[in-house]
Amino acid sequence: MDVSQYLEIFLDESREHLQNLNTEILNLEQDAENQDTINEIFRAAHSLKGMAGTMGYKRMQNLTHDMENVFSEVRNGTIKVQPNMIDILFQCLDALEEYTSNIQETSDEGTNDNTSLIKLLNDLLKPENTAADAAAKTAGSNAAKTPESSKTGENEEVQTEDDGDIPSWKDIKLDSSENNVFREARKQGKNVFGITVKVQDTCILKAARAFLVFKTVEELGEILVSAPSAQDIEDEKFDLYFSIMIITEHNLDSVIAAIKNVSEIESADGGAVDLKETAAETEAKQEHSKSVKDKNSDSGQASTAVASKESAASTDQNAAKQQNEKKQVVSKPIVNRTVRVDIEKLDVLMNLVSELIIAKNSLVAASTQEGDRNAAFNEQIEYLESVTTNLHESVMKVRMVPIESVMTKFPRMIRDLSKKLNKKMELYMTGEETELDRTVVDEIGDPLMHLLRNAADHGLESSQLRKERGKPEEGSIFLDAYQDGNNVVIEVRDDGNGIDVEAVKAKAIERGTISLEQAENMSEKEIIQLLFLPSFSTAKLVTDVSGRGVGLDVVRSKIEALSGEVEVKSKLGEGSTWIIRLPLTLAIIQTLMVVIGDEKYAISLGSITTIEDIAPSEIKFVQSKEVIHIRGNVIPLIRLNKVLDIKSGKGPDENLIVAIVKKGDKYAGLVVDDLLGQQEIVIKSLGRFINKSKIISGATILGDGEVALILDANALI
Amino acid sequence: MGEVKTIGETVQYVVIQIGNEQYGIDIKYVDNIVRIQHATRVPKVASYIKGVINLRGEVIPIMSVRVKMQLPEIEDTKSTRIIIVKLDQLGTIGLIVDEVKEVLTMSVDNVDKVSYDKEEKSHFLMGIAKFENRLISLLDLNAVVSEVS
Repeated sequence: MDVSQYLEIFLDESREHLQNLNTEILNLEQDAENQDTINEIFRAAHSLKGMAGTMGYKRMQNLTHDMENVFSEVRNGTIKVQPNMIDILFQCLDALEEYTSNIQETSDEGTNDNTSLIKLLNDLLKPENTAADAAAKTAGSNAAKTPESSKTGENEEVQTEDDGDIPSWKDIKLDSSENNVFREARKQGKNVFGITVKVQDTCILKAARAFLVFKTVEELGEILVSAPSAQDIEDEKFDLYFSIMIITEHNLDSVIAAIKNVSEIESADGGAVDLKETAAETEAKQEHSKSVKDKNSDSGQASTAVASKESAASTDQNAAKQQNEKKQVVSKPIVNRTVRVDIEKLDVLMNLVSELIIAKNSLVAASTQEGDRNAAFNEQIEYLESVTTNLHESVMKVRMVPIESVMTKFPRMIRDLSKKLNKKMELYMTGEETELDRTVVDEIGDPLMHLLRNAADHGLESSQLRKERGKPEEGSIFLDAYQDGNNVVIEVRDDGNGIDVEAVKAKAIERGTISLEQAENMSEKEIIQLLFLPSFSTAKLVTDVSGRGVGLDVVRSKIEALSGEVEVKSKLGEGSTWIIRLPLTLAIIQTLMVVIGDEKYAISLGSITTIEDIAPSEIKFVQSKEVIHIRGNVIPLIRLNKVLDIKSGKGPDENLIVAIVKKGDKYAGLVVDDLLGQQEIVIKSLGRFINKSKIISGATILGDGEVALILDANALI
Repeated sequence: MGEVKTIGETVQYVVIQIGNEQYGIDIKYVDNIVRIQHATRVPKVASYIKGVINLRGEVIPIMSVRVKMQLPEIEDTKSTRIIIVKLDQLGTIGLIVDEVKEVLTMSVDNVDKVSYDKEEKSHFLMGIAKFENRLISLLDLNAVVSEVS
């Protein structure tokens, strides 16, 4: 059977499954007993095996088959999760990734049988099988019942460990905000109950009964949490049981009596919620709240807002209600309806939109040239402008993907590094949902990996040293992504040693990068910048993690290729922060069009802070360089006509038009002859043939068909 | 069979004029031939790079083959053309030539891939083709566009 047409889908889905496995096995390492995790792992391994089999990749199928065997035993409770098992499983995932990349390159899985790995997997099964046989029977009977409960709710964690086969409100896991709300309620003298309701098994309209129960309870108090979720209950995605947690002023008996009053309710049991116990279980909940965040990014803020509210009873009730409503909204779309689209098709679409914007610009240019303009014509042009801008935004949005796809790889990487370097460390990530252009997301992985490796290897001190310095033994690395205006900022932060400026300086002098004299005059910032030079490494030992001095220069050039910039902040002994700033969109930007001599240039509006009119007499000289004083800042002047080898069209006595541009905390004043105004332009590459010129970041086509170059203000400073 | 073979193994060359000489460019690289048009100057680049033009919405760099061959520059004439070539390494580039003469179809047997080095500009050539009674120097495009070391 010819399966080549399915190859792309196979690769896509394999990667998804592998990523999923990576994440879930990491979870398993943290919480070996979590049935949901184990089930998820089993499902992913099983799908992977099936897909590999269908595509005829025998070796991949064999390996996944043996992995599946292990998962299956774990699921049945026959064998326990051990650290060495996790290691072996990760090795298997690496082997699978190798198969996948082989398949991508040659459409063949390669010849590596990974027999040693398969043997290791089988060894995991053997000795345990006999030893834990007796235990397996009891555990097995328990596990056999799990599918029943996992059927009841896809989203909400319902565990069967405590009460065997009956789901109970005791199994509901609370996240910290919910916990806070409960605590707050209790402080105000209200009761917090958990109640499990059983519907008669003869009942036909279970959802309707459940609805009546909800309504009844809401008359007495506030329902804060339900398992399964309210949405699932509404859709009748539960068996006979459902659980709720409520805040009420009434006592337990009256609430239960009211519930039992609803017809076709067989029983209702409840008790006071023990907040301490549930607080300990919050970790497992995080996964869930993350997915909730993805679906509705507001809700995260909403729930923290709820948590911080701590005043009158009425506001609290409101907050609880609001939270409840949010939960219902949030849990609705379990699977988004999506279409897989070839990125090339999107590029074509983007190009067409660019063409349209160019055509629109020509139309605007033509309309302004006409002497007597007709109002209706103008109106239509303005309408066209707004439509093209919206169209552009929509297409850009289609190309935007969450940075999550890159970030999910890192916890696994840090775990491996932690073992390899023998340092304890933990990676904390936020802002996975931050969206970036697809091309940027594809490219940003490597630089981030470099920075994280750097942080793990050079940044964090050894556990021993950390102890001596009175820091927690476990080092922390933070990876935060967020949107800031028209930029996306990604920060890699560690609480390690920070950059030793003196060591960098010494190294630079030793290597002859700078002279002693230069070193004296350099600021701390300038010295840190030296780290970005090619083949500059302060590591005394070259490890296979980092230290070869390739890295930071690659990081910088890669980020600059994406029109971004990277900045470092560091404090010796306290850690360092690497800040990457990337433009939100790459293809279309707002610019200021300027004239120099008889040439037109575009300068990104993002880097321009103000435009100044400067009299020649205001120019001062510092170290024989022209500077101007503006609002307390001394700003060096850059005469663009000199930089660009053009004869300026202005006389020496005329006032200068200066565009003040900013890069980080540095300013410069760009002297231009004239301003043409703001324009939305489509960035076109100059091609590989002319890439020598650093100050030109690209070109664009103007309304009249002429090509104008885009000046990179950052490169000028 | 012999005849089929000859037809199958032919190559086509676009013959251009630069100064007093005619050169052939393998047609498989040629994307388009356009009239000379105003180019936007790019600062800080080699003198033979004449700037960039707008070719149906794409920004294409153009270069003067004359300057690259160290021939004196001349004014553009009615017959000055830009040959747009597509190269694997450097992408699309426009070559300014004095004139485009014709397209010749010749058998591969008539192409001698000899390299000779008695002249300065020889390193831009990849061979000589005999066509009827003419000899046409075949341009090595990669050498033409590559940076002078």
